[in-house]
Amino acid sequence: MKTIGTVASAALMSITLASAAEAADPLKVWMRYGDNEKAVLDQISKDFTEKTGIEIDLFLANTDFETRLARAAVGGSLPDVVVNDATSMGQLLDMGILKEIDRSAVQDGDQLHDVAWQSVQSQDGKYYGVPTSAQAFAVFVRKDWREKLGYDVPKTWDELYELARAFTEDDPDGNGQADTYGYVMPVSATRGYATWFLSDLIWQAGGQFLEQKGNGYTSSLGTPEVEKAVSFARDFICNGYAQPSAITATTGDATPVFSSGQAGIYRSGPYHLAPFSKEPGREVIEVIAPPAGPAGQGELAEGEAAFIMGSTEQEDAARQFIEYLISADGQKTGMAAGIDSSPIVRLPVNKNVDVAEVQPDKAWATYAELYATSGHYFPRVPNWKPIRQMTADGFNRILADCSSDITAGLAEIDETVNAELAKQGVRAN
Amino acid sequence: MSIDPKRWRWTIPWLFLAPALIFFTWFKFVPIIKGLIMSFYEVKFVGADEWVGLANFQLALSDSALGAAAANTLIYVVSTTIAGGLLAFAVALILEGQALHIRIIRTAIFFPAVTSVAVLAEIWRILFYPASTGVVNSILGFFGGAPQGFMSDPNQALFVVILLQVWKNVPYSMVIFIAGLAGINRELYDAADVDGASPLRKLWHVTVPGLVPAFSVVIMLSLIRGFRVFTEVYTTTGGGPAGATEVIMTNIFKTGFERLDYGYAAAVSFMLFAFTVGLTVVHVLIKNRFSHT
Repeated sequence: MKTIGTVASAALMSITLASAAEAADPLKVWMRYGDNEKAVLDQISKDFTEKTGIEIDLFLANTDFETRLARAAVGGSLPDVVVNDATSMGQLLDMGILKEIDRSAVQDGDQLHDVAWQSVQSQDGKYYGVPTSAQAFAVFVRKDWREKLGYDVPKTWDELYELARAFTEDDPDGNGQADTYGYVMPVSATRGYATWFLSDLIWQAGGQFLEQKGNGYTSSLGTPEVEKAVSFARDFICNGYAQPSAITATTGDATPVFSSGQAGIYRSGPYHLAPFSKEPGREVIEVIAPPAGPAGQGELAEGEAAFIMGSTEQEDAARQFIEYLISADGQKTGMAAGIDSSPIVRLPVNKNVDVAEVQPDKAWATYAELYATSGHYFPRVPNWKPIRQMTADGFNRILADCSSDITAGLAEIDETVNAELAKQGVRAN
Repeated sequence: MSIDPKRWRWTIPWLFLAPALIFFTWFKFVPIIKGLIMSFYEVKFVGADEWVGLANFQLALSDSALGAAAANTLIYVVSTTIAGGLLAFAVALILEGQALHIRIIRTAIFFPAVTSVAVLAEIWRILFYPASTGVVNSILGFFGGAPQGFMSDPNQALFVVILLQVWKNVPYSMVIFIAGLAGINRELYDAADVDGASPLRKLWHVTVPGLVPAFSVVIMLSLIRGFRVFTEVYTTTGGGPAGATEVIMTNIFKTGFERLDYGYAAAVSFMLFAFTVGLTVVHVLIKNRFSHT
């Protein structure tokens, strides 16, 4: 009889357990990360579930992320939370799938950097996401090559150019062959890489993408400053100091050129510190502030943000998850503290997290300082993506032809961008 | 209950066809119709789509970027069809026969046709690497030529991509030609020999007329493949540099999946579809006229 009782109570228990589990579906979270970040994301889900009892159903995709979201939206099967580039907000908003966020109601929201919050503020002043990570761009240099050839850390455009020349022509790897290059440039038009790469140079030259006039914008690429930036970039390509296939290279094509020791200078975010420390090796690389242009320093600041989908039925759980991501604990785990994984939090958005404490490598502090002192976000138009594509197409066109008229090329880009601004209803007169 | 045997005879083939037809309906015909419907709307991702009538089609006709892509596509189609067709014909003449070495060479030549395009693209990027260390550039250098930009040079990129398509299609067309050659009546050659015809005359008066159906198939396939080329271009150049290799399909892909303008992309896709169907019909009409006279 005793056994029957045990069996019965066990059965009863399993029924209650099962129904408890059924009561709340796991929170569906999509993130634009890949396998490199999986370990850190698993840790975050585990910690969060332990803390709140909410299960996480995680989906990771590095490629075609927006397309997959669009398909899910059309099919009516959107996740509850999406973590993606903050610049994608305009497009997601355009698709009508975002829920507005009440900034003041987000727990610990006041601990986040204000500039990070601005990246998820829309034209109408409302917030549609919560920033989770930030990053700026710095320049990786092959320290061993530089020292072997007897150069100082480049601080200006001229010094950078000279170093690229030396890396190309003076056989920095000492194998007696002309098989090295200077600056690795991903300037394909695909997904807007050319714009992404040139942005630093444009700001360093004192140029800007758009000029804000009242509540509207006009394209401001047809200026002598932007011309300087584009022509500086083209000199690398046309004189052979960039890697040979720069003009059709995405970052996916460009990164191996640096890591395999074919070229010695590469601009990238802190996420490349870990892979480059393995190959070509931490001892041979250094992370430096981007050399100053005619108008001084300036580099792109970007960030990731978490968005709650309008269709979610678990808004409360979604909010709790995001609040965990931005909490000091969540940010530290996200920075891959003690986990062998690429971080999902490059630079913390939470003011109470000290980069140096989590990342002993001083290169991280360089990134944090650049973000705080000279980082520029892309302009906050309703939808930056089409403009990113148009400008990249235009830049690629100019860079691909060493004898093309840069002034005319830029004027042409201005025209298409202004048409797009008008289409988005933010064209200033 | 008796079954009318005559009727039964009609039902059986349809029964066998049914699985394939159901499959096609679900995965081919329904999406095509959905795509057509979509092209009259501005697709909203949440809520109802907005009816815009023919606006997407009008936009397509006045879109200069699409026009440039269409021009590139036309160059692509004409060159791959002519170069690919002639080359395949020549290779088929050389490699016709049953000898062992010929069969081995034929198998080797057929490899590009069965290899995935993504792999071919990667091979192409290695071969045509634009530095002096690249394979083709090393060969050029051996003969004293300067290193070329190939796919990084807007003036050469389209040509290099065309070469890839020709390389990939020649083996396919070769097989069709070889099959055609096998079908030519041997007595015609014997008769020509008796008349003392030269090899060139035999080629022109016996082989070529005998291969009209094969040419027809090869040209048709090449036209259809060419107008909707996508993978070959997207994986090698992505449409660049400077839009030099942008074709209709890469343009559709970008508007659809990067700008998420589904309605417009659907409209252009449908125009391309209608054009290809039209082309096929015209081709069949011309061919029928040929074979009846």
